[in-house]
Amino acid sequence: MGKSFVISVMSKDRPGIIAAVTTVVFDLGGDLADLNQSVLGGYFTMILIAEFDESVQKKDLLEKFSAVQKTTAMEALINEMEGDYPVNQRVLPRETYVLTAQAQNRKGLVKCLGDFFYSKNINVLDLVTTSDKDMYTMIFQVDLTEVHSMGELRNELKILGKDQQLQLVLQHNDIYMATNEVGTALETIIGV
Amino acid sequence: MLRSDQIMATVEMVQKENLDVRTVTMGINLLDCRRGSVEETCALVEDKIAKYAGNFVEKCNETAVKYGIPVINKRISVTPSALVGAGFSSEDFVLLAQSLDRAAERAGIDILGGFTAHVEKGMTETDRAFIASIPKALAVTSRLCASINVGSSHKGINMDAVAMVGNTVKELAEETADQGGFGAAKFVVFCNQPGDNPFMAGAIHGVEEADVVLNVGVSGPGVIARSLKKTIAKRGRENLKLDDIAEEIKQITFRVTRCGELIGRQVSRVLGVEFGVVDLSLAPTPKIGDSVGEILQILGVDDVGAPGSTAIVALLNDAVKKGGIFASKAVGGLSGAFVPVMEDAVLADAVGKGALTIEKLEALTCVCSVGLDMVPIPGDVDAATISAIIADEMAIGMVNNKTTAARLIPVPGKKAGEIVNFGGLFGTSPIVEVRNVNKSARFVSWGGRIPAPIHSFKN
Repeated sequence: MGKSFVISVMSKDRPGIIAAVTTVVFDLGGDLADLNQSVLGGYFTMILIAEFDESVQKKDLLEKFSAVQKTTAMEALINEMEGDYPVNQRVLPRETYVLTAQAQNRKGLVKCLGDFFYSKNINVLDLVTTSDKDMYTMIFQVDLTEVHSMGELRNELKILGKDQQLQLVLQHNDIYMATNEVGTALETIIGV
Repeated sequence: MLRSDQIMATVEMVQKENLDVRTVTMGINLLDCRRGSVEETCALVEDKIAKYAGNFVEKCNETAVKYGIPVINKRISVTPSALVGAGFSSEDFVLLAQSLDRAAERAGIDILGGFTAHVEKGMTETDRAFIASIPKALAVTSRLCASINVGSSHKGINMDAVAMVGNTVKELAEETADQGGFGAAKFVVFCNQPGDNPFMAGAIHGVEEADVVLNVGVSGPGVIARSLKKTIAKRGRENLKLDDIAEEIKQITFRVTRCGELIGRQVSRVLGVEFGVVDLSLAPTPKIGDSVGEILQILGVDDVGAPGSTAIVALLNDAVKKGGIFASKAVGGLSGAFVPVMEDAVLADAVGKGALTIEKLEALTCVCSVGLDMVPIPGDVDAATISAIIADEMAIGMVNNKTTAARLIPVPGKKAGEIVNFGGLFGTSPIVEVRNVNKSARFVSWGGRIPAPIHSFKN
């Protein structure tokens, strides 16, 4: 294997999208390294990383996807990755936390938290939002490895919550693993 | 991938159901501190506690902030003092008590347990001197808790010791009459006392334990009460049976236990100390919403003490054990539901209404993890009656192969129905009526031993 491509696909959700995308990868001799997909509001989106022979070029992939796009109305974005895809990419950082934020639904809620994280140089690893009646819930998985004082961060979140009328709860990711993942030993979770 | 349903369920436990870790208790072996004089021994005791527990509170607090789960109590338990001070006089034991109190203060600990003797089969001269020292030792210290193990399923009940501790309870209360007899609240009598219990007043560091060990007590009954309320509201009472309730309790206990053990193991790792056990006990506090009694009300008795109460406690105790044992690698201590009258607002309320009597409490202790705990009784109840109540409670533990305990507080100058208030975690309650007083002296005066039950002979 020589090079890796990151491929992002979006389409109106229907049966057969995964089959179409993986056929393209398979036909070019590719090997799937990682894949993540979700469906939101009836739209399917997927991001995947695949490894190919050195001879495979971005244009080869674009050609193959163009052929598929004609019949499936699927949009694809392709980029060659710089360097190798690290095998342990999906291992979460040691100080992974989950911030849940709830508020009466209004414009700018995600932006408010996004700005806060950006101002603290905090990387968001994952984000899920849900809406129930008027209550909007955001669940951010964040990497706090670079945060030097958890006490200070918690105080700043307390102020943010008060100012923006947000209910904020910051918990270490280990707590969720411990309380929900029956098969994972606690020693594994805390990394003993 | 983030599972929002699981995350929100855990967030609710923390935010709305007050999930916490009730206690992290560091057990420290002091047997290697014994030297030729009491002064040298005390100096080594203080040095050893400072060495291991010097940053214990700080590390617990840091871990609590890191994980966002409060650690409510940080405590120390030590090797039973009667062993550490073998050969000491009563005056020497008072000096040792003061030394332990100083060590606790320096470590920033509010309560230290282990001023203890185990006398279930017989008493040495040291044991007698030790027991005689308890009233003074607890009167001149503020952080120390004392306990005596007077019975076991294997050895029977030492009735000489039971007779002695009835007097000890009376003396403790009288020594602290100006505080409502508070001294007796720091003294507990056991049958089958475990060596890894992290909860006070009966925490000790058993001689079977490693040099230094960390034991954890899981969150209180409030989490279970609120979760049950939520489940009943969501699914509808008419759609639930008691086995569904038991299943729900098991699942909550699983989460609570995993959380407690996670925090405990993390503190152990940071301190470089061996992790011991998770104690699954539901320990109430006087705070509203943190009550075992409330769970009984949710499950269908209007007042604790009404018929059905014992059956509910049996269900609760069993479900907690099953959920917790599946969750944890190492369960120990007492592990069940506590019914401490003064520390549980709903139980205290039931006493005030006349619904909960000492006889019904005794029945509850047949199926729960401890015994007659934090029970305030009239100050004029005689020592022999107190000893006899203790003997009854010890017999329940001995025959049923379980831990039982008695923490009775004869409140000087007060009668049944009057209120006693110790404040804080020790709580408040109307004084519980004791019937049939002055009728057990002939029994208690026999002395000797109640032999171990036949089913203890298993070799």
